[in-house]
Amino acid sequence: MSEHYTLRQLNLLVREAIEETLPDEYWVEAELSECRENSGHCYMELIEKDEHSNTPVARASAKCWRQTWQMTKPYFERTTGQLLRAGMKVLVKVYAQFHEAYGFSWIISDIDPTYTLGDMARKRQEIIRQLKEEGIFDLQRELRIPTFAKRIAVISAQNAAGYGDFCRQLEDNDYSFRFEVTLFPAVMQGEQVEQSVINALNSIYERIHDYDVVCILRGGGATADLSGFDTLALAENVAQFPLPIITGIGHDRDESILDMVANTKVKTPTAAAALLIDNLLRILERLDDASQRISNAVNQRISSQKIKIASMTSLIPTLTLRMVGDQRHRIDTIGNRLPIAIERRLTNQKHLLESLSIKLQGFDPQLLLSRGYSITLKDGRAVRDPKQLKPGDEIETRLEKGNITSIVK
Amino acid sequence: MNENPKYEEALAQLETIVRKMEQNEYNIDELAAQLKAAQQLIKFCKDKLTKTEEELQKINAEANL
Repeated sequence: MSEHYTLRQLNLLVREAIEETLPDEYWVEAELSECRENSGHCYMELIEKDEHSNTPVARASAKCWRQTWQMTKPYFERTTGQLLRAGMKVLVKVYAQFHEAYGFSWIISDIDPTYTLGDMARKRQEIIRQLKEEGIFDLQRELRIPTFAKRIAVISAQNAAGYGDFCRQLEDNDYSFRFEVTLFPAVMQGEQVEQSVINALNSIYERIHDYDVVCILRGGGATADLSGFDTLALAENVAQFPLPIITGIGHDRDESILDMVANTKVKTPTAAAALLIDNLLRILERLDDASQRISNAVNQRISSQKIKIASMTSLIPTLTLRMVGDQRHRIDTIGNRLPIAIERRLTNQKHLLESLSIKLQGFDPQLLLSRGYSITLKDGRAVRDPKQLKPGDEIETRLEKGNITSIVK
Repeated sequence: MNENPKYEEALAQLETIVRKMEQNEYNIDELAAQLKAAQQLIKFCKDKLTKTEEELQKINAEANL
């Protein structure tokens, strides 16, 4: 048994055995524990964990040569919206390669992004379920964007095109609204998103009374890795933040969890700016409407008063003249009573005189004479007693038709 | 209300005369004189009314300009 192999000889045997027994390509599902690019090739570490203990039960390195990687990488990123990275579940088509110098490796000939997509969706569902279980999934939507939201805290990458668009849009609004925008810079792609955005939220929280609303913005630039927006910790922070949060993290795939828990989500930073302008515009319109209604009411009141005054004015000539007319009538009435009173008075007097004259007539002596009576006079005075006379006196007797003179015996 | 006190006085006097006439409170001798006084009061009041009416029409005309 002195015969022995060199390592190369032995490895070549292994290679031969592998090539003979595993000649095909296989679809294998695994988790990535490492993933790095080098010279256009992609080097990965595949792993399978025990479902319960989470400890690795299988491990192997895998390589994707440049020629394949150039095709599969863009397709994967376009489909999933994510970069291939550690922690991801993947379904890859592999064939075995054992190189006598470099050892065993699976060579990747294809990657199925839909499997990863499904896995991501499952993870997202898990996060959503957890948020709902914690009772915080809908918290943000119970907040209202304040009527006069003008002080805007923005979480965005410092020099992002989307942030510039947002600021320009706010400044150039057609209604001269003035917004105060404060930027809280954060990393908006890759693995640092979660912690970076949480830090920015914490900074805003320290001065929470200085702001009305928070915008988390991302836009422009490459279609990048949005997986950082789909984490439980970030979702919890956003969901429980006391100010309403508007997201404009611009991607056309499914909503991210961040979008789901935010108060309002829009597609782009520009749309976020438009929403803030619309929000102020609504109150402006309400104010305009109110002032229009006030001025209508006032005008109506004034014109009704004018009509009232006009109608009273037109009555004045009639009323004043009528008062004069009434007085004139009164004078006439009083004046008319005068001749009546005087006439009656004079008539009364006449009647009085008449009855007096009738009474007087009863005393006329001629009346007695005509009835046959006579009056005896002495020295022109009526004789009522014979003792007034002595013989020899001359008396005069008046009769109806003449006088007799006699001497008393 | 006191703008026309003389008119009101004259009217009161006139009413007194007429009332006394109707209640025979005057002597016949006084009648003619009182009637004359009454006619003068009537004329005074009527003149006053005419003048007032003219003034009112003038004021109204000015207000309508």
